[in-house]
Amino acid sequence: MSLAAEFSQWVAGTDFFTSLRESGLAYPIILSLHLSSIALFGGLILITDLRLLGVAMPSMTVSDVITQTRLWKRIGFVIMISCGLLLAGAKLDTYYDNPYFQLKLSLLLLVGVHALVFHRSVYGNAAELDRAAAIPGIAKTAACLSLVLWIGILSAGRWIAYYERPGQFGPPPAASAQPAKTVPAPR
Amino acid sequence: MLLAYDPATNPLNNNEWAFPLCECIHIASFALSVGTIAIVDLRLLGLGLRHQTAAQLVRDTMLWTLAGLTIVITSGLVIFTSDPLRYYYSPAFRLKIICLLIAIIFNYTVHRKVAQSKDPGLAGGLVGAISLFLWITIVFAGLFYAFT
Repeated sequence: MSLAAEFSQWVAGTDFFTSLRESGLAYPIILSLHLSSIALFGGLILITDLRLLGVAMPSMTVSDVITQTRLWKRIGFVIMISCGLLLAGAKLDTYYDNPYFQLKLSLLLLVGVHALVFHRSVYGNAAELDRAAAIPGIAKTAACLSLVLWIGILSAGRWIAYYERPGQFGPPPAASAQPAKTVPAPR
Repeated sequence: MLLAYDPATNPLNNNEWAFPLCECIHIASFALSVGTIAIVDLRLLGLGLRHQTAAQLVRDTMLWTLAGLTIVITSGLVIFTSDPLRYYYSPAFRLKIICLLIAIIFNYTVHRKVAQSKDPGLAGGLVGAISLFLWITIVFAGLFYAFT
């Protein structure tokens, strides 16, 4: 067994994550909190990106949008990540080799890179952007990339629930007589 | 015709990508609609975006809220067709729809009126709190539908 598999099974097997996984109430509540914070944090990210692209919040300056939403983005981000860690931990034994889970983690890593790359020129430089005659290309690039990354993370996250590990249910696809009917996964 | 409807014939139940794609659109558009409404709510509660008045924020977000709501409801209706009876008989789903109707009416009547008033004050705080509560309940009820 690989180290990742062993580690994942150990995490998911701890008393804490076992009871979380088997709890009929805690798990859906944490998932709902995860989604609620997406509404808050995701909404603020979308609006900031749309403002940088020059299509939303016309009466606010770029620096107003960036600095005034910063605190709530951070709060939303912390709730979102905390809930996400709990959700992932509870099912890490089935998630660690799920390609959509791996994609989601990779994209989250790229969000960190995005922040490092564009902090100086865009997000930490908002006052300068206000003085510019037009929103500079680099700010629009940052906004577009942010939209792509976050929509990608959202989508990969949703697709985690639909992945079936080969051989997880019955014989592999090649051996089965009929194609499996897709059933909407509950989560 | 409606009586003869068989969800098994619905493309959502026959195409591997259709259902999750609808869900992604649903989630992204509720982030847009609820997120933009929350911006106004936070202002009404005095918890952020103090440089603008609530009225200004309503004007600025109006179009995006409407766009988000339109997409979230459309995608929601499409998802509903995947298993109408299960949705119809689910208490969580019924709660969601009741809260959604109240939240939409509230948003375009009381919420807007108070946000556009000269000094929303205490009424503004109350309206912001009710609005946030309603929208979060809708998200929770939507999730609990899947678990009950």
